[in-house]
Amino acid sequence: MNLDDLRTDIDRIDERLLSLLEERMEKALLTKVFKEGRVADPKREADVLDRTRRPLRRLVSPDFAVGIWKNLMAEGRIIQEKGFHTIGFQGEHGAWSEVAAKAWNKDYASIPCREFVDVFDAVRDGNFDFGIVPVENTLGGLVGPVNAILVYADLRIVAAVDLPVTHCLLSLPGTDYREIRQVYSHSQALTQCRGFLNRNRLNPVQYYDTAGAAKMIAEERPRDTAAIGSRYAGELYGLEVIKEGIQDAEVNRTRFFVLAREDIERSSGGLRQKCSAVFNATDKAGGLFGVLEIFAKAEINLTRIESVPDKPGDYAIFIDFEGDEREPGVAKAIDEATKATRGFRLLGCYDEARVQ
Amino acid sequence: MKDLKLAAASPDGERTILEVGGVRIGEGLVVIAGPCSVETEDQVIRTAVAVKEAGAQMLRGGAFKPRTSPYAFQGLGLKGLKILEKAKRETGLPIVTEVIDTRDVSWVGEYADVLQIGARNMQNFSLLREAGKSGKPILLKRGMYSTLEEWLNCAEYILAEGNASVFLCERGIRSFETYTRNTLDLSMVPAVHAESHLPIFIDPSHGTGILGMIEPMSLAAVAAGADGLEIEVHYDPPSALSDKNQQLTPAAFAALMGKLRRLRAFMDEMGSAGAGTV
Repeated sequence: MNLDDLRTDIDRIDERLLSLLEERMEKALLTKVFKEGRVADPKREADVLDRTRRPLRRLVSPDFAVGIWKNLMAEGRIIQEKGFHTIGFQGEHGAWSEVAAKAWNKDYASIPCREFVDVFDAVRDGNFDFGIVPVENTLGGLVGPVNAILVYADLRIVAAVDLPVTHCLLSLPGTDYREIRQVYSHSQALTQCRGFLNRNRLNPVQYYDTAGAAKMIAEERPRDTAAIGSRYAGELYGLEVIKEGIQDAEVNRTRFFVLAREDIERSSGGLRQKCSAVFNATDKAGGLFGVLEIFAKAEINLTRIESVPDKPGDYAIFIDFEGDEREPGVAKAIDEATKATRGFRLLGCYDEARVQ
Repeated sequence: MKDLKLAAASPDGERTILEVGGVRIGEGLVVIAGPCSVETEDQVIRTAVAVKEAGAQMLRGGAFKPRTSPYAFQGLGLKGLKILEKAKRETGLPIVTEVIDTRDVSWVGEYADVLQIGARNMQNFSLLREAGKSGKPILLKRGMYSTLEEWLNCAEYILAEGNASVFLCERGIRSFETYTRNTLDLSMVPAVHAESHLPIFIDPSHGTGILGMIEPMSLAAVAAGADGLEIEVHYDPPSALSDKNQQLTPAAFAALMGKLRRLRAFMDEMGSAGAGTV
């Protein structure tokens, strides 16, 4: 043990404290939904202070602890009163979905969720104002689990974000890159960087999330190990970017949908750029063609068409097309398509942001 | 030179042309210019912009420096590579940088377009093999005590790993003469053209170590038919951390480039540039 070791430990603890504080503030922000306008809750605050006062710890005195928690709760009230909008995403802080959320609106509080379905459920239940989910990637194709949920989710698509995915090799500061042997990341990211890993003789190790891998390295500090993730994840967890843009293909983009319970209006008014819809084609020759023909004749440009297995033998068809439902031509095509298919549902009209 | 299988001149006299980031090496005159060492982002980018403006096609800069003294500036390492990458983004110039450690080869290849193996490492056979395996274009400088045959055999090591992208650079050899830093052996231009199909460059900066000799030796190299030049340029030579006495200012480099272009045009007119006939 020496002074440097101790200070390194203290720095690590501070990192974790900050991360825990962020998490605590997120939870505090989310409680607002359940409080029906009255942010301050004296009974609850007294309970919390009572618990911090327990004299079990020698160095953290009750007075000191109470002081800190009084501050924490005061800050929590301020955050709730400020009325931050919340947007849920799947993964840990620093995930690509969070990068997309920040590209869409950097002032919203992004809240991590464990699974995609948790994002949908929390938006549906009103816990979050928005949710953001990846729908397709130029290298990996359709994000199956998300599209399967979209078929039945009773939510509106209110925006789309098309984000370049520039993977970074992240390591603890001061790591000698020549000693890196293992690289942790999500399987998709590892696949997208296979050439880089091979060239440098690095062993890929699958992890549940790109940002989760970055977080693990920051907290557990394993030797000879790096992660693949966003530059933002690197900054968040205090990691060094050894190399940016290590994916094999120059173009690697992911498209995200922003979901909400209700449509949002453009702040400037006016028509939105795109619509998304889902339907089941009728089970007969030319069933799908008939729908596409409607859009072709109306001269509406279809920008995406995907089929997702639904019930056995049945497929849900997703289409994206240009235009706003308030345009007469678009409205007419939607009306005709509704008659020509089963369960035609407009998922939303929205603007799409293409991030450079 | 009977042991050369891959480096030897082809019977029909055909020469290799390498394509690196849009630059064709072995066709016309290619000039690689830039600072001896990567020192700061500002230094590299200012120099890169200046040499590009003057007509250089590639940027050089050392991030790993093989220095005579272990106490001399050893280079910025990874940080230097990142600076070079940034300079490439800003100017579009492909990057040439030296690699001195086998463990660095693949990593340097992630940032640079051409890996340079310096004179001191010419016969570092494990480094040559690793450079061969990387598949990256390799600029192999002549060792300061090496014969042409030894040099071409070193190229053979790289070629034998399946890497066909090799070009050579003469940078002066040790002789009894101490007036110049090294004795620049310009006769290697026609000699390499006679014995090998690989492109041959001249480095007048290390070859002489004397600022005033860089221009005459560059012109002589072009007159001899060299495929290219590697010249050290620094936006402010007196502040350089290494080789401060042999780096040209951007203005001097631009003036030299003008003369080189005119000489080259004259050579083309004569139909004798890079003739390779001995």
